[in-house]
Amino acid sequence: LSLEESFGETDIVERISKLRIALKLYQDDRNHTFEAKMVEDSIKVLQLQTQLEKDLKESFVGLSISQTIHKCIILGQSSKAAKIKTDFKVTEKRFWWIKLQGLVETRDWEELEKF
Amino acid sequence: MSASHLGKTPLDIAKLRDAVRKRLPELLDTVRGKKGLILDPQLTGPLSLIAEISILKDHGVEKIYHLDDNILDTDCKNLIYICRPKLKYMKYIAAQIRKDRQDTSKRIEYSLFFVSQRTMLCERVLEEEGVLGDITLGEFAMEWIPFEDDLISMELDNSTWKELNLDGDTTAIHQAAKSLMKLQQIYGLFPRIIGKGDSAKALADMLIRMRREQAVVEEVSSSTSRQNPSLLNSLSTHIDQLVIIDRNVDLYTPLCTQLTYEGLIDEIFRIKHSFVELDPSLVGTAPAPGQSVSAQPAATPAGASAAVAAGKKKNYALNSGDKLFSQLCDLNFAVVGGLLNKIAKRINENYEERHQAKTMAQIRTFVGKLPDLQQEHQSLRTHTGIAEEIMSQTITDEFNRMLETQQNLVAGVDSNSEVDYIEELIDKQEPIVKVLRVLCLMSLVQGGLKAKVLEHFKREIIQTYGYEHIQTLYDLERLGLFNVRTSSNASRAAYANVRRTLRLIVNEVDEHNPADISYVYSGYAPLSVRLVQCAVQKISAGHAGGSVPGIGLLVNVVGGGSSGTIGSNQTASQNGGQDKTDKTTVTGWKGYEEILKLLPGAAVDEVQTVEAKNEREAKATAARAKRSLGSHHKKTTIVFFLGGCTFTEVSAIRFLAQQDEGVRDYLVATTQMINGSTLLESVIQSTPFDRGESVEQV
Repeated sequence: LSLEESFGETDIVERISKLRIALKLYQDDRNHTFEAKMVEDSIKVLQLQTQLEKDLKESFVGLSISQTIHKCIILGQSSKAAKIKTDFKVTEKRFWWIKLQGLVETRDWEELEKF
Repeated sequence: MSASHLGKTPLDIAKLRDAVRKRLPELLDTVRGKKGLILDPQLTGPLSLIAEISILKDHGVEKIYHLDDNILDTDCKNLIYICRPKLKYMKYIAAQIRKDRQDTSKRIEYSLFFVSQRTMLCERVLEEEGVLGDITLGEFAMEWIPFEDDLISMELDNSTWKELNLDGDTTAIHQAAKSLMKLQQIYGLFPRIIGKGDSAKALADMLIRMRREQAVVEEVSSSTSRQNPSLLNSLSTHIDQLVIIDRNVDLYTPLCTQLTYEGLIDEIFRIKHSFVELDPSLVGTAPAPGQSVSAQPAATPAGASAAVAAGKKKNYALNSGDKLFSQLCDLNFAVVGGLLNKIAKRINENYEERHQAKTMAQIRTFVGKLPDLQQEHQSLRTHTGIAEEIMSQTITDEFNRMLETQQNLVAGVDSNSEVDYIEELIDKQEPIVKVLRVLCLMSLVQGGLKAKVLEHFKREIIQTYGYEHIQTLYDLERLGLFNVRTSSNASRAAYANVRRTLRLIVNEVDEHNPADISYVYSGYAPLSVRLVQCAVQKISAGHAGGSVPGIGLLVNVVGGGSSGTIGSNQTASQNGGQDKTDKTTVTGWKGYEEILKLLPGAAVDEVQTVEAKNEREAKATAARAKRSLGSHHKKTTIVFFLGGCTFTEVSAIRFLAQQDEGVRDYLVATTQMINGSTLLESVIQSTPFDRGESVEQV
């Protein structure tokens, strides 16, 4: 599977193109609709992460969605975090967990009070 | 070697150790002069168990290195590589040689020994790299690493199970077959082979085939074989059968958290080749010189180099050389605390004896006991330290909730709290291994998850732990660990059925005074060991208490073979119907066909007999058989776990050995020691990023 290859790739552009190939393979197969959707998402995440890196001058690539949200919150970008949440249909419960952890880590008690 | 033994098998395991140990110096002597030894990092552990560093020194080894991608700078004229046939290593070696070649002043001779076999692929790589001509190739067969008198392991990588069932790579079966043949050569033929699982079947078939091949070879060169008679021509007088358990048959057991002392040490600290890495503060002050000699037969190359390299962690040997440990290792952890306390008191009393010593003689005897006492004291301190560390984990809420969830799952208590619990684990970003362990257990036990639930979990996991786990989840699905529940109830009922018939769940467990193997998991009896019980003891499933040994177990098994029997390999059918010899006491799977059908994979049941070539040989065998009967030899059953076994299962089997009132001994053989985490880790994908950043470090 070319999927593994793509994760070995450190270069982002290369990675996305490899993922595209994997995506095609998955789409051809009807048994893999779930995987196809996930790969699609992963491309989106990578694109989003590169965007974030440009905006925030922090490294994001390679993090999972939860970790990305986590980092956004630590960096005080809760609006961005909220956007990721809706984009990827993160469940309410998990989002709060992440937010809680993030806020505690940064000792952002004010934000915490607002819950 | 170790003074006290955990399990006493009449088989002389030292023989095995010697077989390997002899070969190492021979190998070293093939190269003349001073030499440097370069070892596969994964082999140093096992090697250290069979050979002392002094042996290496005696044979001209000056330096020992680890094989890795660093370029080695050495002044040795001869280099010996010992490694498993892996492409990665070939590349390292090639790079090393090419680098040395640039420096023409050096003239180094290289030799490379593969453990246990060379492969075409590796030779190809070396050829492509253009270094094949510079190396002398050889093989170093290292079949069994004896851990204890009743536990031997091949110490393969952790991925055997995955290789067999996911990659379809059957090298391990071949290696296992070769290693078992070795056992047969030393101890004689296994009179009976039974097994469960597809890989087990493949292994049994291969064993029988290998034996036939061997027979042909021997016939051709009969003159040589006369001088050097192989025991393959006679049935073993010590071993009554080989039970092969395919890990695939029982995945439930490793997924549960082990609750014996040794098992918990493995879960929390990880035991590697019977060594555990501990914080030096736990091990206490430098061990008394007396101890390092007796507890650890070798001042190991691994121990030495690791101590220098890491500096922080200390290797501590866990084996029967440590008397205290041999008392503790198989116990349920709940009991360990109390026992440690008791021992502490006793040692203290022993120390106090010195005040009562009045006469010179009394003082002398006391001083004589002192070294022993100190050693005991030392190991007590270490184990108290370990136990405290474990305790600090086991009293946490997380640990207990995990345990509760697992026990509800295996007991088949239906509730929705498990789903919530797992969700919470993911939300908290607990290590993925932990999450997958419960999830897989749930899927297995319930015969798959509902499609909606499954998809939900998949999404959650991928979003939380990263997209590379698309592959992980897919692999798990193919392994049958993580599936959608099919419409039929059959798969769902399978586990429930097995649980009922084999009494996997025992409600009243007395950890202090166990009556059944289920004590090892505080209520859950490992399925694999129950199967062994089925195979070995003739007990009705109703009261599978493990305390009722079969009737007439001591009746001569060898009898069938010695009376000059017909047919070389009489195949008892899987249903056990054609079992001709009534004398055969080992019942095989007879009576358990129904249960076996519920579990995946084929069942094996083969009887190996000996074709006596002439009158004299037949008589000789008969005589040997009689002798063994006369001296009331206990029979040993070898239990071979294909794809790894857990420490808890070993404990359970040791327990069986005690239960049988000494009628039967067990030797546990396995491809490697595993636990649920190592089992799954072989499947879980990793990315270059994984090693970099993790949430905790942000």
